[in-house]
Amino acid sequence: MPSIVPTLTWLEGLGWTTAIRESPWGYPLIETSHVASIVAFAGIVIMMDLRLVGLAFTHAPLALIQRRLFPWQMAGLVPSMATGVLLCCVDPLRYYRSMFFWIKLLLMALAGVNALAFHLKTYQRADRWDEDPQAAATARLAGAVSLVLWSATIVTGRLIPYNWFN
Amino acid sequence: MFLSFSEWCNGLAISQAYQKSLYLFAVTQSLHLVAVTIFVGAIVIGDLRLLGWGPVGQPRAAIARSAQRILLWAGLAVLVTGIPQFMTNALDYQRSPLFAFKMCLLAVALVFTATLRRRVALADEGRLPSWVPRAVGAVSFALWMGVTVSGRLITFYG
Repeated sequence: MPSIVPTLTWLEGLGWTTAIRESPWGYPLIETSHVASIVAFAGIVIMMDLRLVGLAFTHAPLALIQRRLFPWQMAGLVPSMATGVLLCCVDPLRYYRSMFFWIKLLLMALAGVNALAFHLKTYQRADRWDEDPQAAATARLAGAVSLVLWSATIVTGRLIPYNWFN
Repeated sequence: MFLSFSEWCNGLAISQAYQKSLYLFAVTQSLHLVAVTIFVGAIVIGDLRLLGWGPVGQPRAAIARSAQRILLWAGLAVLVTGIPQFMTNALDYQRSPLFAFKMCLLAVALVFTATLRRRVALADEGRLPSWVPRAVGAVSFALWMGVTVSGRLITFYG
């Protein structure tokens, strides 16, 4: 299998990625924007999950919480993805060698699959329990899994600067 | 006075344990960020409702009461994970203008949230002109995002 390292080395050597990496403001500002947008995005996701598992906002119909918060969830996701991709372009070899980075990506993928499965299957039958404080067991399970996955994503993301495995 | 307090913090057994451990500080830092995320999530859902953009089908007070419980538990977790981080690096933090700025902003945000924001969120919806909850929601969002951003910048600029 061809190695991705030469491509990442080329990316790291580009003028604009070098300029951002070596600037005293470039990398810190992008990284801080990434953290701020992830905190807003994951914070909203966790609030929706807490409603799903029946720990908060149980007075509100689930559909209302989902429908009204979804655009704001996306408003947090887009800048966090954009800044995340930018960080990877600016310092690609560092992320490539970080075990926590790969675990974070895996956890995000699993969280995405969980959210997709919930929306395509469980949520289609939501009219039966939409206004109940306790959602169906499968919906509560999806909420609990999402809570664990997003918390673990944040933990592994924060651990990327530590190279315990290298 | 703050210097001697920082030196005292630095000498405590818990600070020494954190300084010697390879994992303790990093794990605490990560859990702190999870707690901050939950706290900010509870703030944002209330602020969106105040701004008239979030779960508008629900009364402001109902959203605020439910979010309040999350704020208390997440706030406690932020404190429990934040204190050892401060104590371990107290000598650095006492020289950091960014840390001082974050703490001042945090104090303002906490007072604002516990007083004006709480009163507006729990008030009868017809009693206040519509610009009041909107302004309170906008100020609250700006304050808490300011705390988050300045906290993260400490890593880079001390």
